[in-house]
Amino acid sequence: METHLSISPSVVSSFSSQNIMLKQMDRPGFVIEPIEAQPTAQSLASLVDSTRTLARPPISNFRVAAVGLGSSGRIYVGVNLEFPGLPLHHSVHAEQFLVTNLLLNGETSLTSFAVSAAPCGHCRQFLQELRDSENIQILIISDNNDQFTPLSDFLPHRFGPLDLFPEGSPFLLEPRNNGLKLTTRTRMDRDDEDVNLRSNNGVVCNGHGTVVDDEKLKIAALEAANASHAPYSGSPSGVALVDCGGKVYKGSYMESAAFNPSLGPVQAAVVAFVAGGGGGYDEIVGAVLVEKEGAPVRQEETARLLMRSISATCSFQALLCCSDSNYV
Amino acid sequence: MDQPRFVIPATEAQLLAQSSGLPSVNEVLPTLVPTAQSLARPPISKFPVAAVGVGKSGRIFIGVNLEFPGLPFHHTIHAEQFLVANLLLNSEPSLVSFAVSAAPCGHCRQFLQELPNATDLKIVITNQRNPNFSPLSQFLNHRFGPRDLLPDSVPLLLEPHNHGLSLPNKFNSNDFELKLVFAALEAANASHAPYSASPSGAAVMDCEGKVYRGSYIESAAYNPSLGPLQAAIVAYVAGGGGDYERIVAAVLVEKDGAVVKQELTARLLLRAISPKCDFKALICSPKNED
Repeated sequence: METHLSISPSVVSSFSSQNIMLKQMDRPGFVIEPIEAQPTAQSLASLVDSTRTLARPPISNFRVAAVGLGSSGRIYVGVNLEFPGLPLHHSVHAEQFLVTNLLLNGETSLTSFAVSAAPCGHCRQFLQELRDSENIQILIISDNNDQFTPLSDFLPHRFGPLDLFPEGSPFLLEPRNNGLKLTTRTRMDRDDEDVNLRSNNGVVCNGHGTVVDDEKLKIAALEAANASHAPYSGSPSGVALVDCGGKVYKGSYMESAAFNPSLGPVQAAVVAFVAGGGGGYDEIVGAVLVEKEGAPVRQEETARLLMRSISATCSFQALLCCSDSNYV
Repeated sequence: MDQPRFVIPATEAQLLAQSSGLPSVNEVLPTLVPTAQSLARPPISKFPVAAVGVGKSGRIFIGVNLEFPGLPFHHTIHAEQFLVANLLLNSEPSLVSFAVSAAPCGHCRQFLQELPNATDLKIVITNQRNPNFSPLSQFLNHRFGPRDLLPDSVPLLLEPHNHGLSLPNKFNSNDFELKLVFAALEAANASHAPYSASPSGAAVMDCEGKVYRGSYIESAAYNPSLGPLQAAIVAYVAGGGGDYERIVAAVLVEKDGAVVKQELTARLLLRAISPKCDFKALICSPKNED
C-alpha cells in the first residue's frame, strides 16, 4: 500500500513559483498553516491537485480531494476512501473526510472549500449539518475559473437539520458532550464472538502478537462517542483504533438529517488514521466501538464487518454506554 | 379497497384526472400523496414521506419511506428510491414526473440522476406554499451523474439490462427453494450496477409462499445505491406484504468475484427485520464463464 505522507518537493517548489505563501507542517499534509491571511482560489486549487494523490479509491480510481478553510484560518484536506469487498455505502467522500478532519482538529466551522469535481448530492446533503451551511463558499476546480459559489446554490429547497430538530440543538462541529459513561453490561445476543480477542488483565492480544492498551482505547472511544453528532436517532457512537506503533486514532459517528449520508464511527476513525499519517489499513491492530445501549441505530455488526474487511486480524470490541446521571 | 395499491393502471389514472376535472394525470399526483403517506413505515423518525409518480406508460406508482431500527441509517429506503424501485419492478421504461410530500434530500436528488431523463424529470413538492412542477436539474444543478463515469453505450436505469448470470454447475436444488432462486437470479440479471460490475438481486418469500424480488440499483455517487434486499423489501411492501416477520425465506444472488459484496450486509438486515427467516446466498457467473 503506497503511503503519501508528505508533500513532495516538486509540489513545494510549485508553491514558491506561484508565490503562494503556505507553510507545511512537519506532519503529513492533511492540515496546513497558511501564512497569508486569505488563501486565494489559485492556492486552494493547486492544493487540490497535489493532494488528490492521497486519496484511496481502489474501486473507481476516481481521486477526489477537497481542501477547505476552517474558521481558525488553517487549511484542511479531505480525500475519498473506498473499501472493496463491501457495499458502497461504506465509502467516504472527500467532503465528508474534510468535515471529519475539521472535527478532529477542533474547528467549529467550515468557511469555504475547493474540490476537484462538483460535490454529489449525498455530500451537498451531508454538509447541511453545519450551521450556516448555505453560506459555505465552494470552488469547483474542474470549472477552470475562480468562481466561489455558495452551497445554497447547489441544494435549493433544501431538507436539513431544522426540518427535524429543535432550534438550540448544536450543529455538527459545534462543541457537544453527550454525557455518556461506559456500562458493565455486554450484549448477550452476539453469536459470533470475535475470535481474535483475548482479554488478559485489561490488555488485548491480537493476531499480530502486539499488546494493546485496552483502557486507553476504551477511553478514546468513549470520548469519541461523547463528541458524536446524532440528534436524529439519539444514538451517539465512537470508535478508537490503535496501530502497530501504539498510536490511537478516534472517530465520532456523524448523523445526517437525511439519514443515509450519515458517516459511521469506523469511517470517522479511519479518516483520523489516514489524516494522522497512517499507512496500510492492516497496520491497525485494535479497535473499540462504544455505542449507547438500546439505541435505535446499532453499529456493532456493521463496524465489525468493516474492520474485518480492512484489517483481517485486528481485534474488535464493542462496548455499551449510557447517560451519566452525574453529568449535568 | 382491502389492500393499499402501489400501482394504478393507466386507464384508471386517466379516469381519476377526468372525474376530478383535472387537465392531466400530473395534477392528480399531489392529491394522492397524503393517503400514500399512511403507507410509510418510519418508526425511527416518525416522518412519513410519500412520492407519487407517473410513468411513460401512464401508470401511477407510489413510493414511501422505510426505516429499520437496530441498524445503521444506510439501510433506510427513501420514498423516491422506493418509487424508482417500484418502476423497475414493474418494467416501467421511464418516470415522467412525481409529487412528493417534502423536498427530496440530496441523497435522493443524486440517486435520481441514474434515470435517463434525469435533467427533465418534473417534481412538485406538496408541502411548499405555491407548489409547482420544476425539473430535477433545478434541484441538483452542476450535477455529477452516470455519464461522468460511463460511456454512452452503457444502459442507464430502467433501460434494459441483462447480465446473463446463471446458476452454478454444482447447484443442488434440494438445498434451495427454487421459486426464490429463480426470482433472485432474474432480479440480479436486471440489476443496474455499471460502476462496480457487481450486479445482484434478492427474493423474499412470505408465509403464504408469495415471492417478491428486487434488483440492486447503483448510484454514480456510490453511497446512495439501493441494496438488493432493500429492493426486495420494496417489492414486498408494494405487493401488499404485511409485517416483515411474515418473511420466512430469502435468497441473494451475486456475481462471482464482484468487488461489491452484499451477503453479510443482507444477512444483517434480514436478521433485524425477521429473525427467524431462512437466508441463503448464491454466487453466480455469466453462462460462458461457468
